[in-house]
Amino acid sequence: MVALGLTLIYGVLNQINFAHADFVTVGAFAAYFTVTRFATKVLGIPDTGAYLLSIVVALGVGALLGLAVNAAVFAPLRERGDELRPLIATIGVSVLLENAQLWLFGPIPYQFDSPFSRETIRLGKIFFSMQSVLVVALSAASIAALYAFMKFTFLGKALRAVAQDRETAGLMGINPNLLIALTIVIASALAGVGGALLGPVLVLTPFAGATVIVKSFAIVIIGGFGNMQGTIIAGILVGIIEAFTVQYLGSGVIDLVVFVLLLVMLVVKPTGLIAERKEENV
Amino acid sequence: MKQVLKAAVFAFACAVFGAQAQDRVIRIGVLMPISGPASYFGVMGKEGIDLALEQLKSTVNGYRLQVQAEDSACSPLQATNTVKRVLDQFKPHIVIGEECSDASLAIAPILDEAKVPMLNAGSVTMKLTESGYKYVFRIFPNAEQQSGPLVKVAMNTLKAKTAVILHEKTNAGADNAEGFRKPFEAAGGKVLAVIDFGRDVNDFTAIATRIASLGKVDVLPTFALEGQTVRLSQALAQARIVKGGGGTAVQMGSIWLPYGYDQKAGQASEGYVRIVQFDPTESRKMVQDFVKAFKAKYGADKVPTHINAHAYDAVMLVAEAVRRGATDSESIRDRLSKMKDVEVTTGKITFDAKGQNSDLSVVHFVETQKDLSWKGLRW
Repeated sequence: MVALGLTLIYGVLNQINFAHADFVTVGAFAAYFTVTRFATKVLGIPDTGAYLLSIVVALGVGALLGLAVNAAVFAPLRERGDELRPLIATIGVSVLLENAQLWLFGPIPYQFDSPFSRETIRLGKIFFSMQSVLVVALSAASIAALYAFMKFTFLGKALRAVAQDRETAGLMGINPNLLIALTIVIASALAGVGGALLGPVLVLTPFAGATVIVKSFAIVIIGGFGNMQGTIIAGILVGIIEAFTVQYLGSGVIDLVVFVLLLVMLVVKPTGLIAERKEENV
Repeated sequence: MKQVLKAAVFAFACAVFGAQAQDRVIRIGVLMPISGPASYFGVMGKEGIDLALEQLKSTVNGYRLQVQAEDSACSPLQATNTVKRVLDQFKPHIVIGEECSDASLAIAPILDEAKVPMLNAGSVTMKLTESGYKYVFRIFPNAEQQSGPLVKVAMNTLKAKTAVILHEKTNAGADNAEGFRKPFEAAGGKVLAVIDFGRDVNDFTAIATRIASLGKVDVLPTFALEGQTVRLSQALAQARIVKGGGGTAVQMGSIWLPYGYDQKAGQASEGYVRIVQFDPTESRKMVQDFVKAFKAKYGADKVPTHINAHAYDAVMLVAEAVRRGATDSESIRDRLSKMKDVEVTTGKITFDAKGQNSDLSVVHFVETQKDLSWKGLRW
């Protein structure tokens, strides 16, 4: 889901968002404080309801953050017609968000457990937590919803038109700036939900997102930058490779295996698993 | 003319005495991680340092203790750049830090060459005091001092025959793992696997699944930072490997974990056996005075950890060196090297010829109970 947000922004804007990891962290903290300070204590909602509410809150916080950052930083820089400045600005936003969270929440890891992370499902010798099931289920639902939005709605088609050719789309009566803002909002909302889902899995500190973003970049490149289907396949592939690596080679070489795969892909098939086609690049 | 001469003499006197007053300062550089995953070390360390300075009123023997804390991020590269800048600009008489072994190993040769003592309170790697540095002192037990006794407890108290060693992929993790493996195997134990992982790993399900497939495991010595250890314990409990999850294996750990790990890991921490160098429940007056002062400064619900205590002790040791007549880097080094049985909150300090604290008299083991409290085990 995190990688999907990255690829969505790249697909439409041709821009890498280095602050995406911090949007994930913000989502995780939004969910944490919703569960621990608001839903259970103020509203008196039981654990499961509180956590599900926190996912919705994280989605909203992510979307609002995306909207605000785009309006305050990315959009003004884009208007100047320079592609490099918005890219560098994403690094600045990342540092700003990290340090703001460090100031607000401190560096000591927060313990964020969901009612689902306490439940375990067993199939013979195999076990997995309910949290993992929830992550897979919600990710699949989000991907399906996003796919349907892109394929079948007017806004989705307009977004794809902007991705293909921003100027021509503008001439057809589409407002590219509005749709770019929408892309950033959707990607940020996905990051927020990703944070809420990963919060009970991650070691929650202001730097938590950084631990997933490097792998997300690898997934996006292996899948084909800007290609949604490729990103989904690459995400599943990398997950399976990681699990087998831990079992047969050792967890210490996970990064080595994943990034060797990335290098091989760049040499053999630089376009990624599914080559980006300009007419269908989101 | 006389007036001019008087003014000149007065100005000269002011300059000389002013310079002397300025010279009566002991500059303490502090390098700690304030950003990144290990930044809790820096935050807790600063709390301990601030409390120590407040109690000393920043003055010892007429010398003002001037502290400059910098972020070294637990990173060898940033620590190297920071220590060079601090040496150049602040000109410290002594440097306290770093916490992480890799960063400490990076700055040790630089400080040694600059002939500025380095007082280390949190790095475990053997190489720090085994590389022949003349200006390195460490109050923290090294990897062998921690892992050796872990083996004894595993073999004698827990009657362990098999072990799976888990460690982060750093100098500290590797040294601790090796420090356990060698004596454990030498004593007849069997190490089923040594599993390492990067600091970016969060999900330990795959590792727990692998351990579950290895057969009967008695002990799981674990050497990782707090956040990862919490997640690791939970995954091991979910796999029903450790006591906290209904299994039989016992997770064991070193001094790395701060007080409060048990509450974060919850039921998964039940049965966890670990060494502690600072125990806030210890009855020694110095410990109880420290806990009381800490709570008074930072809040009644805040219990100091070993990281708070180590940083506090480090400043107190510098103060002790100054009290014994130290006035510059060389004399601080001299006084530190002669320290014997100096009582601090984390025990007693006696530095050996390599600069390693050799007194482990207060270091002991605790076992996490079902209600997450600690039960002391014999040393």
